[in-house]
Amino acid sequence: MSFLQPLALLALPLMALPIVIHLVNQRRHRTVNWAAMMFLVSAKRMNKGMARLRHLLILLVRMLAVAVLVFAISRPLAGGWLSGVGGMGKRDATLVLLDRSASMEALDLQTGESKRSTALNKLVELLEQGGHGTHLVLVDSATGQAREVDSPKALLDLPMTQATATSADMPGMLEAAVRYLKANNTGRADIWICSDLSRNDWDPDGGRWSALREEFAGLEGVHHFLLSYADRPERNLSVRVENVRRRTRGGDAELTLDVTVWAAGGDAVPCRVPIEFEVNGVRSVVEVELDARGASLQGHRIPIDARLTSGWGSVGLPADANPLDNRFYFVFTEPVAQAATVVSDDARIAESFRRALAIPTDPGRQHRVDVIPLSRVDEVDWEGTGLLIWQGPLPGGAVAEEIERFVGSGRVVVFFPPGRADDGEIFASSWGDWQRPAQEQNKVSWWRGDADLLAHVGSGDALPLNELRTYQYCSLSGPGTALARLGDDHPLLTRVASDSGAVYFCGTLPTAQFSSLERDGVVFYVMLQRALAEGCRSLAPASHRDADAGVLADRGPWEPVAPTEDAPTLSARGLHAGVYRSGEYWAAVNRNLAEDRSGPSPAATVDELFDGLSYRRIDAAVGDTSALASEIWRAFLVAMAVALILEAALSLPGKKVERARFSDLTAGGSDDRTEAW
Amino acid sequence: MAARLNREFLDPKVLARLAPLPLHARLPMLGSVSGRHRSPIRGSILEFAEYRKYVPGDDPRRLDWKSYARNDRHYIKEFEADTNLRMCLVVDTSGSMDFAGAGVSKLEYARRMAGSLAYIASRQGDAVGLYCAGTEFHQEIPPKRSPAHLGTVLDELGAMQASGETGLADALHEAAERVPQRALIIVLSDLFIEPDVLRGCFQHLRFRKHDLAVFHLLDQSELEFEFDRPMRFLDMEGGEPVLADPTIVGAQYRRALDAYLEGVDQVVRETEVDYHRVGMHEAVDDVLARFLLGRTPKRRG
Repeated sequence: MSFLQPLALLALPLMALPIVIHLVNQRRHRTVNWAAMMFLVSAKRMNKGMARLRHLLILLVRMLAVAVLVFAISRPLAGGWLSGVGGMGKRDATLVLLDRSASMEALDLQTGESKRSTALNKLVELLEQGGHGTHLVLVDSATGQAREVDSPKALLDLPMTQATATSADMPGMLEAAVRYLKANNTGRADIWICSDLSRNDWDPDGGRWSALREEFAGLEGVHHFLLSYADRPERNLSVRVENVRRRTRGGDAELTLDVTVWAAGGDAVPCRVPIEFEVNGVRSVVEVELDARGASLQGHRIPIDARLTSGWGSVGLPADANPLDNRFYFVFTEPVAQAATVVSDDARIAESFRRALAIPTDPGRQHRVDVIPLSRVDEVDWEGTGLLIWQGPLPGGAVAEEIERFVGSGRVVVFFPPGRADDGEIFASSWGDWQRPAQEQNKVSWWRGDADLLAHVGSGDALPLNELRTYQYCSLSGPGTALARLGDDHPLLTRVASDSGAVYFCGTLPTAQFSSLERDGVVFYVMLQRALAEGCRSLAPASHRDADAGVLADRGPWEPVAPTEDAPTLSARGLHAGVYRSGEYWAAVNRNLAEDRSGPSPAATVDELFDGLSYRRIDAAVGDTSALASEIWRAFLVAMAVALILEAALSLPGKKVERARFSDLTAGGSDDRTEAW
Repeated sequence: MAARLNREFLDPKVLARLAPLPLHARLPMLGSVSGRHRSPIRGSILEFAEYRKYVPGDDPRRLDWKSYARNDRHYIKEFEADTNLRMCLVVDTSGSMDFAGAGVSKLEYARRMAGSLAYIASRQGDAVGLYCAGTEFHQEIPPKRSPAHLGTVLDELGAMQASGETGLADALHEAAERVPQRALIIVLSDLFIEPDVLRGCFQHLRFRKHDLAVFHLLDQSELEFEFDRPMRFLDMEGGEPVLADPTIVGAQYRRALDAYLEGVDQVVRETEVDYHRVGMHEAVDDVLARFLLGRTPKRRG
């Protein structure tokens, strides 16, 4: 139990007042000479039973009444879970980490409240009652930034607390919280996390948690409260569209696309589900058979006007428990070539790159790989290239500026070390000397498998990086974040943060003299193809993107095309599902795949992430409008009234015994002759 | 022990009021001289009792010659013999008798009653004796009928003091043995001893054919036990003091008192004792008048 006026609890010793009064009364006794002691001694002996018990009860009830009064004055709050980790005591800051991911929009069909709005309302009510310290800070999952908020009620109206189609990065949000706490030197702080424990959002296997735990362990007085809405919505269907292609057959044109309807819990009732297609405003409905896991529609064809070379569409499902995963937007244009440029003076190495890039993952699309020596770097088609492979001394001057612009437009560059030492610098990074690791240390000891170039494949299997051998590597200095490390902890592949696009540095070369990248092939091929796909994504006029804060940062300005109503504000574009257009470029923004497919992490797994920290999980249900904490002083006053009534009942004197008059008690009885006499 | 020579406890008004009321014994008494009380021994003094046939050995002087003349048979005419009585006052002088409620102490009350009774008995020619029943104040004056002896009894009454534990049971047993048979034993006490103990004492006295009268002295405050705060009760007979809250133990006290009074009633019914429960608020002359009138023989026919 927590208290709004905990100082009033200092008055609790007053509950001993009835005992003190009792003892004082005992000492205030008068002394009287008494003859009939035999009855008194007998009475005291009889009083050892129920009467003494009654007396003790009266004393206890009086103490209880005083204690309850003190508790009532302390303004207690109901909600036992608040007490475990410091409760709602005095704090300097309250940080609200709000999961705005699409899965948080699962509704309670009775109340129409989503997990996000339920959590937010409860939290606002709690903070209104219990105070939030000097600072109230919001860290929302969509932007990941910490913002100070004026009052708890403002949280309800802020655009940063509204629903989005994004995923949440819980470790990232906690990192933002740590940064805020350290930057502002806050003292005691409560961190409230509102989430549905989605595995995709929490990434419990990620490598950042141990560092986070250490960071929080170094901060004193920080309490974590996890407001958990882990219940999966029943019979919720989500829809996705993949492989959207525009084809022409003769004089006709058509769109082909794969539609997947997913029942996340595997609990769908087999039935026919209508799927609504909308292409450039034209709607059609197709019914599919649904089994427990969902349904799929492969290669569905939608005829379109042959003159329509680009456009957009959407696929929709009937309303269910989560409205945000019932519609998926797509865009289409004529396919563009996947173009990569390799800049290298070493023909052998350049050929290695060319071979890995020239094998297309999508045979239906054109591929082009240009190999250009360093001396002819000005011949690079900067506009038509999605991926730049740079193997050689790091460029400077105009070329470096051109590369920065290239990355800024959303494309990807991967730097490989030159054959000899080089003192050039780009993206604040520079190559060092070549080194030969010991035999036992030439294996990759760690790599980031959850995202980026070395992420696990779609089936969940890891890339065979443990089979990769590195015989020579070039040391790198710079601000990059390692994606793979060798046995001696030296980074093999790093990524330098950028607002858009991507910059990678790979510390070795693919040929057999340096590593087994080319020989083993798989890692090398996947890495380059992923970089190419990423780089060409911004090259294609039509792109499908996962909703994220920076997803529309590569070109601009992006104007919303669909949905036409409730178009997001400029700052919120990219966070909401929809279709955007910037000149000839189209972008369909949707929630990512993991947001639909990923189930909740087991609560115990999440609890382990906070192991050793002051942490409390509060399991709540969507639509449950009961307050997290409510003042219950009235209940205490009622309890006090009951205690006083009980005390009065116990203190009621027994039935008064009418003492007989002496004349009635006289055994001989008075003689009527007394009166006569 | 300093003798108390004043006799303020003898109220002339009370004595004057009681003067017309003689003290009667309920049982035949064995006196040494002629008196107003029935004697178990037949005599020829005053009142005709019965005729009986003459048997050899009878005193021929007691033959009723008129009866012989009428029916030619010999009858002896018998008369009841009246005698005086021996009245023995047993006064409890234990510490508890010093208890005074709103008025005088029980001892003072007993002193007044005993003095008046001694005076009445002595005036009508009965012998008066006194037993002071206390462990610390114990006195024994055998019954005698001389006026000077009355003075001794009254002086002793005036001098007696209440202290220590009660010696009433021992005093009653002692009186039962030492006072010759067929005497009037009058007990004045608060009787704060167990009814079972009392039963033994009373049965002993009744066995010795004594006429036993008991004045049970109780104060109204002892019956009501009404106090509004915790009290420290000092035992007037020297026992351990008791700290008690009457609001808590009051009901139990009254239950114990009721049980005790019921026990006493049972004892006096079984032993046919002339029992009088006396409140300290009652006037002495009223109590004595009720006592004396109660013992007045009812007129025949």
